[in-house]
Amino acid sequence: MTVAAGIGYALLALGPSLSLFVSVISRKPFLILTLLSSTLVWLVSLIVLSGLWRPFLPLKANVVWPYALLVLSSVCFQEALRFLFWKLYMRLEDVLDSFADRISRPRLFLTDKLQIALAGGLGHGVAHAVFFCLSLLTPAFGPATFYVDRFSKVPFFLISAIIALAFVTIHTFSMVIAFEGYAKGNKVDQVIVPVIHLSAGMLTLVNFASEGCVIGVPLLYLVASLTLLHCGKMVWQRLIESRNQSGPTLR
Amino acid sequence: MGLPRLVAVAFTLALVSIFLPLPFSLAGEITSIESVPDLQKLMYVAVDGYPCVRLLNLSGEIGCSNPGLSKVVAPLIKLKDVKDLVEPHTVLVTADEMEDFFTRVSNDLSFASKIGGVLIESGSSFQQKLKGLSPDKMFPQAEFSPYKNVEYKWNPMASSIMWKAYNFPVYLLSESGITAVQKFLSKKDMKHKTYTSDVAEFNMVMETTKAGTHNSEACLQEGTCLPLGGYSVWSSLPPINVSSSNNRKPIVLTVASMDSASFFRDKSFGADSPISGLVAFLGAVDALSRVVGFSNLKKQLVFLVLTGETWGYLGSRRFLHELDLHSDAVAGLSDTMIETVLEIGSVGKGSSGGINTFFAHKTRVSSATNMTLDALKIAQDSFTSKNIKILSADKTNPGIPPSSTMAFMKKNPQTSAVVLEDFDTKFVNKFYHSHLDDLSNVNSSSVVAAASVVARTLYILATGSKDTSSSATSSSALGSIHVNASFVEELLACLLSCEPGLSCNLVKDYISPTNTCPGNYAGVMSGEPSSNPYLGSVSDVSRFLWNFLAEKTSVQKGNTTSSCSKGTCSRTDQVCIKAESNKEGTCVVSTTRYVPAYSTRLKYADGAWTILPQNTSDSMGMVDPVWTESNWNTISVQVYTVQHSAYDNAVLVAGITVTLLAYIGIMVAESFIAKALKQD
Repeated sequence: MTVAAGIGYALLALGPSLSLFVSVISRKPFLILTLLSSTLVWLVSLIVLSGLWRPFLPLKANVVWPYALLVLSSVCFQEALRFLFWKLYMRLEDVLDSFADRISRPRLFLTDKLQIALAGGLGHGVAHAVFFCLSLLTPAFGPATFYVDRFSKVPFFLISAIIALAFVTIHTFSMVIAFEGYAKGNKVDQVIVPVIHLSAGMLTLVNFASEGCVIGVPLLYLVASLTLLHCGKMVWQRLIESRNQSGPTLR
Repeated sequence: MGLPRLVAVAFTLALVSIFLPLPFSLAGEITSIESVPDLQKLMYVAVDGYPCVRLLNLSGEIGCSNPGLSKVVAPLIKLKDVKDLVEPHTVLVTADEMEDFFTRVSNDLSFASKIGGVLIESGSSFQQKLKGLSPDKMFPQAEFSPYKNVEYKWNPMASSIMWKAYNFPVYLLSESGITAVQKFLSKKDMKHKTYTSDVAEFNMVMETTKAGTHNSEACLQEGTCLPLGGYSVWSSLPPINVSSSNNRKPIVLTVASMDSASFFRDKSFGADSPISGLVAFLGAVDALSRVVGFSNLKKQLVFLVLTGETWGYLGSRRFLHELDLHSDAVAGLSDTMIETVLEIGSVGKGSSGGINTFFAHKTRVSSATNMTLDALKIAQDSFTSKNIKILSADKTNPGIPPSSTMAFMKKNPQTSAVVLEDFDTKFVNKFYHSHLDDLSNVNSSSVVAAASVVARTLYILATGSKDTSSSATSSSALGSIHVNASFVEELLACLLSCEPGLSCNLVKDYISPTNTCPGNYAGVMSGEPSSNPYLGSVSDVSRFLWNFLAEKTSVQKGNTTSSCSKGTCSRTDQVCIKAESNKEGTCVVSTTRYVPAYSTRLKYADGAWTILPQNTSDSMGMVDPVWTESNWNTISVQVYTVQHSAYDNAVLVAGITVTLLAYIGIMVAESFIAKALKQD
């Protein structure tokens, strides 16, 4: 498929992440650190999960429910880890705020906190894309291409890049929702993140069916769009709130 | 959206995704990919088969090769779909289309330029469909014929395609290779066919093409090729006492050859021609080994198996040359003592209606040939079942058929020899020198019959008496000579098939074979030719024959057998056999030697081969093409799917677009947020 196609697939999966990194994350070193540690946490979660599931692998290829169980257990574990990650972040926020007080500097703004959450989410998303798409992309740089029997319209690498892009979006923005949800104690936000993650995971099982990608992938993008919309709405509301709160003091 | 609605939507999605796959049928063949190497193996499918390689002679080249230094990548197409091609393609040709295809390529240059590579499909079903296939000439090796009629059509099925040069790679697909390629071609009805194409990639770069050496002289000088050759084996029954030059008995020389050739280097069993003759020869040796009292007979039997006969009678010419030189390789023999020669040619197709008929082609009328013919008749009559018939060849034949005896005749026109074949005026082997001359092309009962009649004929010749039919003791002795039919059948399976092939018990008893599939192509001469060669350079079949003949022609002196671990025995009249299969061999008294088989025009000196100038005293050397085979690194073929470059570029553009759109989106969002914060 040549170098052009290989680069194309890589950009499809990680291009938006690259744009986000360049425009937002790279400006503040702390965000880069957050991104890296979040990537590490996600990879560690995968290692632990693979260790737990090792005795049961490889799963039989024509039965669906073991895969459903795998997705369910992975999502539950990763959501638990997300909560712990948030707890760790809260500790760090306290440390940063007290340090800022000591040197008479302003505390973390809302936008800073949102950016940290975004970096955390992007870390998860990038790890997912690298692990599930980029690592398989090396053969794409050679002359040959590959089509899966169950979906012969589109090359395997293209589908994997498209799915990875959806997951990057979902991971990035659901972290923002989750952090705000835990911080404000908002039940909707707290519940919706695991639900989105689980449904996205389960939707990939639809791809098992012959030509299932025709249904599975658009539905996945629907979930991603819902995540993006909900995040946008939530951020807008918080910004309006904070502006109203801080409004009188700024005058 | 309120919480309940949101949760409801999300849960519905989750439930739908669990239950949705169930009514769909999961696609049939599911190959699980567990790693990137697994994915690569599925993408690049290796195709198993047999190549056609580049061979060179003094005036040019024959055979096939990649046209340049790089791999050939060309889209697959079936021959019947070929119409107005723009770029070179890989053509899939079936065995029945093969001869017409190559003839067309040689005659039509514009057609040839559209051929990138060729894959030949030749399943077992084709052998029944084809009337005959022979890529050799009408009169093979006519330049060595001792008689003038070189236009005589010994091989009527001939198409001569193996003697032409082709500027593209040709590959014969094995059974698994055919399955792999068919799987690719059957995907043609898939929807992505408009922007992909299935290609075959040939890695068959020949070193002579790389170096630009296009004839034997140039390539031997550059070291980009090696001359064809091997090791012939001879053995005498009973063993000859080399030291005592007195009491040398006249010699009856029995000859067979062990090498064949075809369009494809590694698929040339040569079942009928000449391996059926070799197996009959070995069956006769085995039968005669059980006869006692050979040392009391009047004549000496010498058995000779030659190699390189397909490529200018290398074995016979070198053997005769060594006799002239009285070299170590032929110590104990002397050409003046060879009274008569009996060559066993193709004997695998003599069976018809329960009767096995063979034809005796004689070189000239002489007392020696008459003696051989009489012996054959007596042997024929000695069988109670009366199912063997030996007939003299038709007098309208111009002479002996293409055989090693032609070389003997050219060297010495007074040679008295008889060639035993299963045909009279023309070959009955319709697949002479083709990849289809395999085990199914011979009849084992014909080979057993030939072995039986040869064994008894040799015994009669060895006794030297014409009057054997009357003598009671000798006729009972004759009647006791039986060829072991199961031995012959086992040997046929060892030398003419891949299962069990050379891993059969019979062969493993004597040697440790390096390959399971017997490749009866002579191969190249690697290393220095000598009568005591480094055994790693000697082919499996030659080593097997040496060990087998040494054991069968050995005599037990005093019943004490000593073991030898390094291949040498203490006594000079002993040889060490079976030293490969068992860690320690056995020393037996036997006269069995290797004779190198290579062109008399070549000389090996200081690690390189040089071509000697023409010598008028060597008439066969004057017409010898001096065949060499190009060196090559690896030969492989793989098949994979390639996307059109437009699609690749579209993907790249899509990736860049998505990245840029995301960047713009982020910028827009940032400005919105900044505005929202700044609004007072």
